[in-house]
Amino acid sequence: MTLQAKPHAEESLPQTEFTLRVNGRDHPLRTDARLTLLDALHDRLGLTGTKKGCDQGTCGACTVHVDGRRVLSCLTLAAQCDEREIATVEGLGTEDELHPVQRAFLEHDAFQCGYCTPGQIMSALGLMAEGRAGSPDEIREYMSGNICRCGAYQNIVAAIRDVAGTEDGGRADDVPQAEGGRP
Amino acid sequence: MTTISRPRLIGPGINRVDGPLKVTGRAPYPNDFAYPGMVHAVLVRSTAGAGRITEIDTTAAERSPGVVSVLTHLNAGPLARGPMTPLGVSPPAPLQDDAILHYGQIVAVAVAETFEEATEAAYAVRVGYADEPAVLDLDDPRAKVRTNPWGRDADRGDVPVALAGAEVVVDETYLTVDNTNNPMGPLTTVARWEGDTLVVNNSTQWASLEGAALAAAFGIPEESVHVVAPYVGGGFGAGLRVWQHVVLAALAARVTGRPVKLVLTRPQMFTACGHRPKGRQRVRLGATREGALVAVQHEARTASAVDDDNFEPTASVSATAYACPNVITRDVQARLNVPVPNSMRGPGTATGNYALECAMDELAYRLGMDPLELRLRNDAAVHPPTGLPWSSRAHKECLERGAELFGWSRRTHEPRSMREDGLLVGYGLAAVGYPWFRARCSARATIRRDGTAYVCSAGTEIGNGAYTVLVQLSAEALGLDPGQVTFGLGDSTMPMAPQTGGSSLTGAVGSAAHEACRALVGAFTDLVADDGDSPLRGCTADDVEPADGALRRRDDPAVHESYRDILARHHRPDLSADGESTPLTADELGMAPAGAFGAKYVEVRVDPDLGRIRVARALSVIDGGRIVNEKTARSQIIGGTVGGIGMALFEETVSDPGSGRIANATLGDYIVPVNADIPDMQVEFAGSWDRANPVGTKGIGEIGLVGLAPAIANAVFHATGRRIRSLPITLDQLL
Amino acid sequence: MRPFTYVRAHEVGTALAEAEADSRADFLAGGTTQLDLMKDGVLRPDRLIDITRLPLHGIEERQGALIVGALVTMEELAADPVAGRRLPLVREALLRSASVQLRNMATIGGNLLQRTRCRYFRDPTVAACNKRDRGSGCAAVHGSHRTHAVLGTSEHCIATHASDVAVTLVALDAVVHISGAAGDRKVPLTGFYRTPGDTPDVENDLRPGELIAAVEIPLLPEGARSDYLKVRDRSSYEFALASAAVAVGLGADRRIEWARVGLGGVATVPWRAVEAEAVLTGSPADGEVFASAAAAAVAGAEPRPQNAFKVDLAQRTLVRTLQTVTGAGS
Repeated sequence: MTLQAKPHAEESLPQTEFTLRVNGRDHPLRTDARLTLLDALHDRLGLTGTKKGCDQGTCGACTVHVDGRRVLSCLTLAAQCDEREIATVEGLGTEDELHPVQRAFLEHDAFQCGYCTPGQIMSALGLMAEGRAGSPDEIREYMSGNICRCGAYQNIVAAIRDVAGTEDGGRADDVPQAEGGRP
Repeated sequence: MTTISRPRLIGPGINRVDGPLKVTGRAPYPNDFAYPGMVHAVLVRSTAGAGRITEIDTTAAERSPGVVSVLTHLNAGPLARGPMTPLGVSPPAPLQDDAILHYGQIVAVAVAETFEEATEAAYAVRVGYADEPAVLDLDDPRAKVRTNPWGRDADRGDVPVALAGAEVVVDETYLTVDNTNNPMGPLTTVARWEGDTLVVNNSTQWASLEGAALAAAFGIPEESVHVVAPYVGGGFGAGLRVWQHVVLAALAARVTGRPVKLVLTRPQMFTACGHRPKGRQRVRLGATREGALVAVQHEARTASAVDDDNFEPTASVSATAYACPNVITRDVQARLNVPVPNSMRGPGTATGNYALECAMDELAYRLGMDPLELRLRNDAAVHPPTGLPWSSRAHKECLERGAELFGWSRRTHEPRSMREDGLLVGYGLAAVGYPWFRARCSARATIRRDGTAYVCSAGTEIGNGAYTVLVQLSAEALGLDPGQVTFGLGDSTMPMAPQTGGSSLTGAVGSAAHEACRALVGAFTDLVADDGDSPLRGCTADDVEPADGALRRRDDPAVHESYRDILARHHRPDLSADGESTPLTADELGMAPAGAFGAKYVEVRVDPDLGRIRVARALSVIDGGRIVNEKTARSQIIGGTVGGIGMALFEETVSDPGSGRIANATLGDYIVPVNADIPDMQVEFAGSWDRANPVGTKGIGEIGLVGLAPAIANAVFHATGRRIRSLPITLDQLL
Repeated sequence: MRPFTYVRAHEVGTALAEAEADSRADFLAGGTTQLDLMKDGVLRPDRLIDITRLPLHGIEERQGALIVGALVTMEELAADPVAGRRLPLVREALLRSASVQLRNMATIGGNLLQRTRCRYFRDPTVAACNKRDRGSGCAAVHGSHRTHAVLGTSEHCIATHASDVAVTLVALDAVVHISGAAGDRKVPLTGFYRTPGDTPDVENDLRPGELIAAVEIPLLPEGARSDYLKVRDRSSYEFALASAAVAVGLGADRRIEWARVGLGGVATVPWRAVEAEAVLTGSPADGEVFASAAAAAVAGAEPRPQNAFKVDLAQRTLVRTLQTVTGAGS
């Protein structure tokens, strides 16, 4: 049996209109309400730096900032972000003029395949803004929402320490005391 | 000054040449490609574990908003299976009949204008099944069994006699579980037809094979398939085969006449693109009281799919690991109704080495001997099966240097004898090797009028640092700065390259690039052979050496001419040459080509009440031959170490009894290490330039992972006195 | 995901009216459970009422309690100075939950209503799930259930309640403020959750169209000792295998004057271990008492083959937490 491509079904889907403000630029959208912020950025606006790793809130590859806070764009509806300030990796440096965190990731080889990297970098920026780069252990804990299957964690910590000036035995208020506690 | 005379063992750790693209989010991964008119495809998977499809109703799906097409076995039409490969047969062609071979098998594809619409349409496809009992257990008598699947079973000496006469014997069984590769980049195919040519952006570790398999599927010439994969979001083996979804994306593009994007969902990543199969291994070791191995018998039974092959030589690890006169290894695969297993970082070796190195630790304890001493005593100074010298081997050096760096001498032998901060402390080690593998490879090198070079080969960058080390090797061979060289990868129209797998890419592409660059030097000397204006006139390639963007006479380095001047005078925009590398056999070499060797040292801390295990330190000393780039090489090893910690402590793909449905197919339920699990890891390189390879490398993509699981298991025993003979080792086993 | 209409409410009244007008509408706050389950095909609302802009974002100290607006995010509550000082176990539970990104999205109200991680519940291609479809059976009982519950279970459902912070809140006698078209009401959190029984689809006391407006958390008395300990396979970004929330008042004679105990990761609802509290209250803070309290806490446990270890682990986790807060070694 041969298949013929069918014309686009004419049923109308609930549409929603809103404006995404990304890296300081407004993008008016009219779309199917199901569109996630991740897919809006990646597929509709062509900002492909934000990555889909799981689409389930379990990996951190899609981390962006909304109103200055790091969040997962895969579990955020695009329509929810009307009038919010969204920041993505595209708003940082360029290849010729890297942002200091991007530069540190490059110097410390804090990535391999590079797929989780934009999310790691956006998360690292969030971490520093939150004041959580006080010690290597604190960085490890608060970067744990970003999975790197290539296993670049050690170099990610080094890159963040480099930018934040983290000392070895620095402050670690928020880190569980050797999680699982000590007897 | 650059020279092609042998550079130092550990090369400069220059930053990744593709780094700026990656840290800015501009490196294009397959799912970043989009084309006008592109539609989206979403898979529908079987909810039966074995049996037949009795009915498939796509009416609702086809009426679903935005739907362009729904493909099932009823309308897909014939598709041919891909070619035989060094890893075995290609996966079966998709949607060819009503047979269900495993839970999660692809049974339909919904294609719609948007991803959301395609997802909803896929949800609306209704499939009825006639269930048959799924064969899921390794020992199920209904399972078909493959013996000696790779012809690697070893028989040396007389094992039964040696075991019977051994003064000390270990005979234990070790279990490993299904692990899933889970690269962060979901496998993606974006397919489009340009006339009769199929162009795919695809997550692959083997662009050349991809072209051949798609050509076979659609009965078109290989030249009519163009595979593009400049960047791939990791693979760890998942990209080594031409999976069904790749063929289906191309089919959907042909049927709809539109570009089609198909991105596997994370749950689909557990069923559609391979996994490390579960296995059971029995290891018998016989030794003298002094710790000399007299017999090794290693038997492995691992899972395979009903209608597919996977390369998982497990027991054969023991054929070459130690000097022992009597050795038997047996690999057996049981064909089960499971998603197709496939290579995952260190296939066969990671699991085989786990069982062997745990057994060696058990032997050391039965002997009352330091586990390090036992390894050193049985070092395989020559290649055990043939007696040939290794092309390079610094195994002992790795073990000894590691012991020194790690502070192994601080270890007290008795289990549960070390404590700190109320936690049990354990030190464990494993000796490791990774088998040598090389395949034929081609490359093309070009120098342009401006003096810069472009070298290319169809290999792939998956995080291995391929772009960077290949730029370095090419720059070295052409006497250029790395900044003057660009390397092209990930395109099937480039000269043929083998897979990024088997820790072989740098050796294969590096050697081919080396040959291409040498040929290019020859092309330059040919060009000026009769050129009265050239100071190099009359020189052959052997008479010159490249340096500083020029060729200079070996007998008089002051006499030289730049590539730019030669090209300008000859009015050539550029000059190119091809190169090919073919690995030599042991017979041709007169020695055994060696893969990487190493030693892994681990310190664990175990909470005596809660059972929590934490890796506190991990040290890898690696003999990887020549290390081209210290920075990226170190990353390969620490990355492998993280994967090894996952295998040892966290990772298990859990299947439902009865159906084989995967019960934890998300990254929230299939636990992989996060940043907080990982201590600072130390990496040291040892050894020498490898003699079997023109560029001196041995390949280090996999050895970073190998050995972590046994080192951790041995450390857990040392910390707690509990010998856990299965993976992963979780806290509930230590309560 | 089924197509839906997206509407945004700016006032509580509007949100409630929207919900009342459409029985197939759901509220959307942080989205970390709602959207996830919609993607999985478990929740299929035809209308989503975005409540993130309702004026429920405040944290207020009032009459010895912290009144936390339902839309306060987990990170915001963790950063609150009063919570840090007077409810350190709440802060600890928040910071051990999920990841920073998720905590920046997830709200306190949503956290209390988060759904189980049971993979049978979350996969609609599995027919047997009484929580999704009452009467269809429970695939977990004979399936994969290492992470499932041992307390508060029934033969119809053994799904674990995944929240960390709710475990501390039940221990602290927090009260949920609920708004509905029919009026506002307050429900103690200990009475808010429903164990599955033979209606696993009914998880709490919330009626259709109602909304959590705030959570009232009584502050711990000065001098109280407390902690939250979470035990899991990996070090972070994972749900608990077992957790314990403990708050005690310790007398000068090292007797426990009062005790509050919650258990997480092991029960179908955030578990208040009143039996353990009874053992502890008035007893000396020593290992023997802790062990008796822990045994009392799990006395009613119904372990299954793969999760039997949780009975042991829950006790060890509770004992360790009691040791930590009282400073009494084992």
